[in-house]
Amino acid sequence: MAEIQLRNVGKRWGSFVGVDNFDLTIADKEFLVLLGPSGCGKTTTMRMIAGLEDVTEGEILIGGKVVNELEPKDRDVSMVFQSYALYPNMNVYENIRFPLRVRGIDQSTHDEKVRRASAMVELDDFLHRKPAELSGGQRQRVALARAIVREPNVFLMDEPLSNLDAKLRVSTRAQIKNLSHELAVTTIYVTHDQIEAMTLADRVVVMKGGVVQQVGSPTDIYDKPANAFVASFIGSPAMNLMDGAMSGGTFTAPNVKITGLNAPDGPLTLGYRAEDASLASDGNGQINAPIYTLELLGDATMISVRVGDALVSVKADKTYRAEIGDMVSISVPNEICHLFNANDGARIGE
Amino acid sequence: MSSVANRSSRSVVIFSSAFVLLWVVIASFPFLWTLWGSFKVQGDFFSKADWRNALWGTRTLLETGGTFTGAGYEGAWIQEEFWRATINTMIVVFFTVIISLTFGTLGGYALARSGHKYAFWLLMIALVFRAMPHITLVSGYLLPFFEWNLWGKLPTAIIVLVAINQPFTLWMLHSFFLNIPKDLDESARVDGCTQIQAFRHVIMPVMWPGVITTGLFSFLLAYNDFAVTSMLLSEDNRTMVPAIAGFLGSTLEEGNVMFAVAAVVSATAPLFVLVLFFQRQIVSGLTAGAVKG
Repeated sequence: MAEIQLRNVGKRWGSFVGVDNFDLTIADKEFLVLLGPSGCGKTTTMRMIAGLEDVTEGEILIGGKVVNELEPKDRDVSMVFQSYALYPNMNVYENIRFPLRVRGIDQSTHDEKVRRASAMVELDDFLHRKPAELSGGQRQRVALARAIVREPNVFLMDEPLSNLDAKLRVSTRAQIKNLSHELAVTTIYVTHDQIEAMTLADRVVVMKGGVVQQVGSPTDIYDKPANAFVASFIGSPAMNLMDGAMSGGTFTAPNVKITGLNAPDGPLTLGYRAEDASLASDGNGQINAPIYTLELLGDATMISVRVGDALVSVKADKTYRAEIGDMVSISVPNEICHLFNANDGARIGE
Repeated sequence: MSSVANRSSRSVVIFSSAFVLLWVVIASFPFLWTLWGSFKVQGDFFSKADWRNALWGTRTLLETGGTFTGAGYEGAWIQEEFWRATINTMIVVFFTVIISLTFGTLGGYALARSGHKYAFWLLMIALVFRAMPHITLVSGYLLPFFEWNLWGKLPTAIIVLVAINQPFTLWMLHSFFLNIPKDLDESARVDGCTQIQAFRHVIMPVMWPGVITTGLFSFLLAYNDFAVTSMLLSEDNRTMVPAIAGFLGSTLEEGNVMFAVAAVVSATAPLFVLVLFFQRQIVSGLTAGAVKG
């Protein structure tokens, strides 16, 4: 049972704000993903929970107990580092066993626990190798096994997949998802990859510049991004954003005219997702522009056009073919439009 | 075509081997010459008549009845009790290395892991002290050492040698520690270690090549030191290097120069053994951090 509470947690280095007023309760057994670009404070937040970074303001509670002053070892957390941080002088078995050994856990249980943990990550055949003799993916799994071996209350993962190649990343991601389901331990996972966040999380926290932008389930943040930043960060491809002007319910931008929208007059940022839009027959769509580029993705064809400074795209059928420069018409119905304040990027409407 | 390539590559191999061999001979000549000469009498090794006497041992044959003689070694080790100097050297070197490594490892680790700006300035100050000629420390200390009656004793020389050595060990170990990723400490701390346990169980095992390399350099500094030991040690407490200098200085008696030559050979031989013994660690220590592992 380990609910984690972050009460107005902040981190400053001099005048530089690393994390600002982070306030969140993470439920027991929840899989929470901290998502954001580099330097957004997500790793700092995790390190404060681990106890590797001092908290400048606010309180962190694990299982109802304030842990601000506790050493990392006394917080009953385990962590997977981005660099794996395996002990190079020990073999795989000793690496996994290390947490049991330093914590003085009954020696007779070590072997069984190490073997169970290594079996969970399919490392049984490598127990006698040194980390230097392992591939990246294997090292990563040793780090996982070392983290799960003593069944901690909280599981922290700092970009555990970022050093793996694309193919391995997908399979290890699946493994982590399965593992977290099996272990049912509160997990905090830091990443800058929105696909990892979408696939793994019960809840996602999107951060930027040390400030939380949105907290919600993957579907929430995908369907209703709280602001233009979240919209531009989530989804693959990210949401198309166009700057234009609103007047009497009509949004206009170069090559764009969308009517019947409900927003106050003035400058506005309008967004839609490429997969929601479709191609329209000549001239009947809301965006009419020459094709800027055309990408064949296999399962679809991505067509991009220029709207002012922005490049917006639409996902067309995989058999669609055209030349760069051909005129294209894109249908953007009202119900797929997301409206954002042009100044602060905040969402307009529900 | 291929035979031409083979021939030219073989001639390159022969040429480079010959060059390396020549270089080894030139580089080791002074030592080999001293080693050879240490078994002759002074009249041969320092012959005024013909330098080739040193090779053939003409006078040695006349004086001792053989072309080789152990008289130099006998004189140095037995008559002049060079073994006392050897023991003194062992004591001085042992404690200098142990003390400077202990402080160097702890301090280097602390400085490497400290995020504070003063860590940099401490290292800069250390560098300044390292750059000073050794003799400045000695001359500054001489008067207080006399007044406090500390002069001439081995611990005094050890303390001064540690003081000279410490900035260097601190620097070297500091850079070794910098090569060990911080994640390793942090991982150990999350796994259940205190800071000290993390240092002992995780960092030190990875640090051994660095410690051995640094230890060897401290060893050489203490072993070869002349400035400090010759000024600060009384005649009874002399280490090997000032003792050898002592043999050379008293040329009134014939034969003492040969004692010095024999003692030099005796003092140099252990260094070869040492370097050969630790060469693996030294090489891995010197190249640590060159490749990511």
